[in-house]
This record gives sequence, structure tokens and C-alpha cells, in this order.
Amino acid sequence: MIVCAALVVPPDSSVYVPQERAHRMVGLDYGNGTAYAGLQMLEGAVPRDAVTTCAAVTHPGERYAAMLRGEFDATVLQEPWITVAEKAGCRLVSTTFFHGTWVAGPDLDPEVYAAFLRGVSRAVRRIKADKRRYVSYFKEGWSAGYPEVQALTPDDFNLGRIQLREPTPIPEDEARWAWDWMASWGLIHGTFDVTAQINRKVEREAHDLAR
Amino acid sequence: MTARTMTIEPVSAFSSLDVLVAMDEGLFMAEGLDLRMASRESRDIRSTTEGTLSSPVTNQGRLQERGEATMFQG
Repeated sequence: MIVCAALVVPPDSSVYVPQERAHRMVGLDYGNGTAYAGLQMLEGAVPRDAVTTCAAVTHPGERYAAMLRGEFDATVLQEPWITVAEKAGCRLVSTTFFHGTWVAGPDLDPEVYAAFLRGVSRAVRRIKADKRRYVSYFKEGWSAGYPEVQALTPDDFNLGRIQLREPTPIPEDEARWAWDWMASWGLIHGTFDVTAQINRKVEREAHDLAR
Repeated sequence: MTARTMTIEPVSAFSSLDVLVAMDEGLFMAEGLDLRMASRESRDIRSTTEGTLSSPVTNQGRLQERGEATMFQG
């Protein structure tokens, strides 16, 4: 699945373009993909030394509420909270997409993983054939208890932000880029070693079996 | 055919809509996989506000570390 992340500011913010985010506090859920997507959106617009962030809670609904309370100037949200924020008059200063990547231990059975890949691929094809039918899933789980989410109708969702792709092996150049980018921020240390990060034997066997 | 079982860490629609739909519509079972989703206990949940950018606190991977899940979404 491709995750959509949006850099959001409150309705009364003076920020309209990403460059105006310099030295403004952005609440990020450090350690999660959304936070790294936020850093990438920010550094694409302002010098790194002008990127100013603070730790914020993981739950996007609570992070959104903290932004509206003025605890920070902006934050990064995923669906359905992007849609909630837009309906409330917040502005999306920038949006980006990133891969949700599965992490497994060394004991992963290629045949089991192949069955997982086949099931996911079938679901991807079903959802892409009728995305609107499935947007109700965004109202469940950890968003279920929030009235602003429950008030959303299927037509409220921007289907362009819901992107899916059938699973593929991880391209080495992308994995290397991600490693080097994280290392450049001091988030990980050492040099990239593809054999330590990706078990190509299991990956190849599973993808071959999944065809 | 007996279905193989695999347990994954909890996921949400924003990053795993495909997995949730496949579970609900029996697509994993049709492929011979009984996919289960573990649940986190309160002891597994720490706030990201306890961490820093270079030393983050995340809940991802804890169940896998304990052998209670085979995969998690990173």
C-alpha cells in the first residue's frame, strides 16, 4: 500500500506555501514513516537548519487536535485525518506518498509469505476497481471513536490520496537511498549493506511462488 | 488443503487497507493462509512523545521481537 501524508496547517495559519514553514514548529510522530515523510517535505522547501520539529503523539487524531490547540504550528497527517482537517478549513501545504514496507524476522516461510502476497495482490485489484466502496475502512480501527471521522461520507474522500500497488521486491537503489537519507539525519549509523537488510533468497522465492 | 497460519502486528487502513480487505473478504484464506492480527497490550504501548528524532520511541516491532508476530509494517 502507498501511504499518503500531508503537511497540514490550521485555518488561521499565515503559512500558505512550504517555504513559509522555515523555523515554524512542526509536530511529528518520530520513529514512524509519517514523520520521515514530513522531514522530506520540509527539507524539500527550506534549508535543513530551518527545519524545526518536536515530538508529537502517534495517533493522528490526537496530533491534529494538538495542532488546533496551538501546541505546534503544523503537523503531518494520514487519512482519514487529512480529509477531516480539510473539512475543518485546514490547508494542505504539501502532500507526499511513501511505501508501507513489511518487516519480517529470519524465520519467515517463503510459501507463507507467497500466500500473503497473493492475498494482498487480489485485494489491491479489488480496491482499485472501486475505491469508494472501501473508504469506510478509514472510519474503523483507531479512528472509530472520533465523531469528526464518523461524520465523513464516502464522497468526502479524495480518491487520489488512496493509492495501492501490488507488492514487488524491494529495489536495492530505493533501499540504499532510504538508508543514506536516514543516515544523513543521524537516525541510523553505518553504511548500507543490502544483504543485512533484505533476505533476497526468501524474497525471490516468495515472489516466484506468488506468480 | 490445511491453511497455514501467520500472525502480524496490528495495522490501520491508512497503510494497510489491502490487508484489512483481504482478511475480511477471505482472500488470504482462499490462498491457503489463515492470517491473524495480534493485539497490543497496554505494556506494549509507549508514546512517541517520549522519544526524540534521533532516538525515537515506536511501538512497531515489539510483538515481533517477542515472537508473537511474524511481520510488522515498518
